[in-house]
Amino acid sequence: MLELVADMMEKDLILIGATAVEDKLQKGVPQCIDKLAQAGLKIWVLTGDKMETAINIGFSCSLLRQGMKQICITVMNSDAVAQESKQAVKENISMQITDASQMVKLEKDPHAAFALIIDGKTLSYALEDDMKHQFLALAVVCASVICCRVSPKQKALVTRLVKEGTGKTTLAIGDGANDVGMIQEADIGVGISGVEGMQAVMASDFSISQFRFLERLLVVHGHWCYKRIAQMICYFFYKNIAFGLTLFYFEAFTAFSGQSVYNDWYMLLFNVILTSLPVISLGVFEQDVSSEVCLQFPALYQQGPKNLFFDWYRILGWMGNGLYTSLVIFILNIMIFYNQAFRAEGQTADMAAMGATMFSCIITAVNCQIALTMSHFTWIQHLFVWGSVTTWYLFLLLFGMLPPYYSEDAHKILVEALGPAPIYWCTILLVTVACNLPYLAHISFQRCFNPMDHHIIQEIKYYKKDVEDQHMWRRERSKARQETKIGFTARVDAKIRQLKGKLQRKSSTLILPNCMPSPCQ
Amino acid sequence: MEIASGPSTDSSAARTIPIDSSSILYEFKQQNLPACKPVLKPSYVITTFLLLGFIFLPIGLTTLCASRTVVEIVDRYDSECVPGAFRGNKVSFIKDSSLPKNCSRILKVRKHMKAPIYIYYQLDNYYQNHRRYVKSKSDQQLLHGLNSSNTGSCEPEESNNGLPVVPCGLIAWSLFNDTYTLIRGTKKLSINRKNIAWKSDRDSKFGKQVYPHNFQNGTLIGGGKLDPNIPLSDQEDLIVWMRTAAFPSFRKLYGRIEEDLKADDVIVVHLMNNYNTYSFGGKKKLVLSTSSWLGGRNDFLGVAYISVGGSSIILSIVFLLFHIKIPR
Repeated sequence: MLELVADMMEKDLILIGATAVEDKLQKGVPQCIDKLAQAGLKIWVLTGDKMETAINIGFSCSLLRQGMKQICITVMNSDAVAQESKQAVKENISMQITDASQMVKLEKDPHAAFALIIDGKTLSYALEDDMKHQFLALAVVCASVICCRVSPKQKALVTRLVKEGTGKTTLAIGDGANDVGMIQEADIGVGISGVEGMQAVMASDFSISQFRFLERLLVVHGHWCYKRIAQMICYFFYKNIAFGLTLFYFEAFTAFSGQSVYNDWYMLLFNVILTSLPVISLGVFEQDVSSEVCLQFPALYQQGPKNLFFDWYRILGWMGNGLYTSLVIFILNIMIFYNQAFRAEGQTADMAAMGATMFSCIITAVNCQIALTMSHFTWIQHLFVWGSVTTWYLFLLLFGMLPPYYSEDAHKILVEALGPAPIYWCTILLVTVACNLPYLAHISFQRCFNPMDHHIIQEIKYYKKDVEDQHMWRRERSKARQETKIGFTARVDAKIRQLKGKLQRKSSTLILPNCMPSPCQ
Repeated sequence: MEIASGPSTDSSAARTIPIDSSSILYEFKQQNLPACKPVLKPSYVITTFLLLGFIFLPIGLTTLCASRTVVEIVDRYDSECVPGAFRGNKVSFIKDSSLPKNCSRILKVRKHMKAPIYIYYQLDNYYQNHRRYVKSKSDQQLLHGLNSSNTGSCEPEESNNGLPVVPCGLIAWSLFNDTYTLIRGTKKLSINRKNIAWKSDRDSKFGKQVYPHNFQNGTLIGGGKLDPNIPLSDQEDLIVWMRTAAFPSFRKLYGRIEEDLKADDVIVVHLMNNYNTYSFGGKKKLVLSTSSWLGGRNDFLGVAYISVGGSSIILSIVFLLFHIKIPR
């Protein structure tokens, strides 16, 4: 009825003009996507927009480009859907997916790129249990996937499919309330605060204010965080193993009665103040390469996904180092302070002197070890590392000054017994060097003969070769990009290949005596 | 990165907060603090190893020499000082207080020993570091005597026949009580038994007004008796004994001889073999030793320094060879 009235009214209208709404991409999005693609990440787009809008967005941020083969999986003809049975529709979709997979498999050109475009209605069939693995298999071989007209529920389902189907870590970023499901489903959820409100921010793990900050979040902070956490955990195990095992070795000499060689206060303070601050400074401030380098060498990001710094080899290596350190500390101390006098005045060492010496060795050795591990020294690191060692001596001094009611056998031990004894200081020096020598040798050999990527970059920066030899720096930078098929550098590369191809064909036709102009493309 | 703090002219411009980009706090938050990033260059590594080697080798040689200058005489006497008749049952011999416990040993001085010469008694297989043993004393009582009531940790040697024991606890109860008299030729060597304990112990841990009370009066005798007229701060044997040793084999200072002993001197030791180490298979030894600036005789420190210095130099040479052959 309403349509009839509308038909009657809408006649003889004069076209005055047209308005357009430009919904621009945020600033910096294409560069960000390019950088993330170079870092080795795969990028999918899940949007509620129509297919045409989504494809245009894909082109403008270089997820799609000319020359990419677009695979569109759609349900033909919405009227037909109501008539045909669901089974027939699913078979249709399945056939499309199979055909597309076949096409991808048969493709010989290594630079060929495929883009998968699928809409929400089709997705609702494709995400059913019997089809979703097939769909996922096709999607992961495509360079980019664009899902349009997806509902919030489907966004979450697609994320779950990728997470569980591939086993990789997924990150979801969105700015509206319709992205909340996806953000919560992904391993890492990033919300963009801004125009569409704060729902995405409240549901997310990280929130940023513009999409382009994602680049810095991942490539700089993600990279640093991974390194820091890996180093911190390994070192924590190391220092506690080095400390704890000495107590166990001592038990063998006390008829396994449970007597500890250290004063209770030493053991309490070990993890609280004497070795905790350097680790905290390592975990908070450590930078293997500076942030500019992280951004210039996106391939360094791959050290994280490939888990190069927290594999079993490294963990067990650090634990072995802790075992070795504990053995060295214990054995050297007991053999040096065996049963003879330790001072010129003839006194022999009792358990308090032995314990204080062993503990001093542990503190010094463990803190020197962390100084060798760190590669980025600010005044904070210096303060914490050397301050911890100084704090131990200060503590021993002050604790010894307390009356024997509190300090028991440690009363005046540094001032009277250990401080004036040359053997005490000689032992600490020897044990510290003996504990750290293998590690120093190991990292030197590794750095010289089997260097990792960030070592090379550190050295280039150190020698200031990046300033002197710009050409080499640029070459290294271009090498440090993951092979990628999306992003505008890929578009540029594709264009270059196309032009090269044209040039080759032109030159091959020029060789012919009667040259015919080649058709323009 | 500086953001201007001009007034926002239109509503679309974000409200800007003035940021002082040169302040320490800004650099801290942006993780941009000035830093040094040391890199392990081959030249640094080789130099470090060489330096370590060249520092450690001399230290090792010095300490080894110092240890070698110490002259030591060790004599185990606990099995020899039991009369032949009791060799099969040493425990009953040592526990029988009616039997004479004196014994004579001959020590030969191999090299010239310069004064002061320290006399130690060495006990083996004696776990002074056992947990129950170590906590069996009362520091409060040692300082304050009968006034202190905090003697619970001394169980079971806390009281005897209803009367409190001063000093209480197993450590004091098991006081070592062998005595030694040294004679060279016809003259008795004077042994200085003062100042053998740590000064801080004498001053702050053992009370000057605390006297032994009801000590070693029970049926089970664990060790030596104490003169009840001498305050604890002067009972240096007790003070030395109560510093529990770290290992089952230990030496404790008995006294010092203030004169030189020449090479080929013969020392006759008259000792009283009172202390019972036979119940648990312990050993008793008498040790005479000089001391160097480093202490007693122990070559291990010197050897360890030389090994570490040597391996450091070997590492540096290996590294140098690798670096020359396979440059990067």
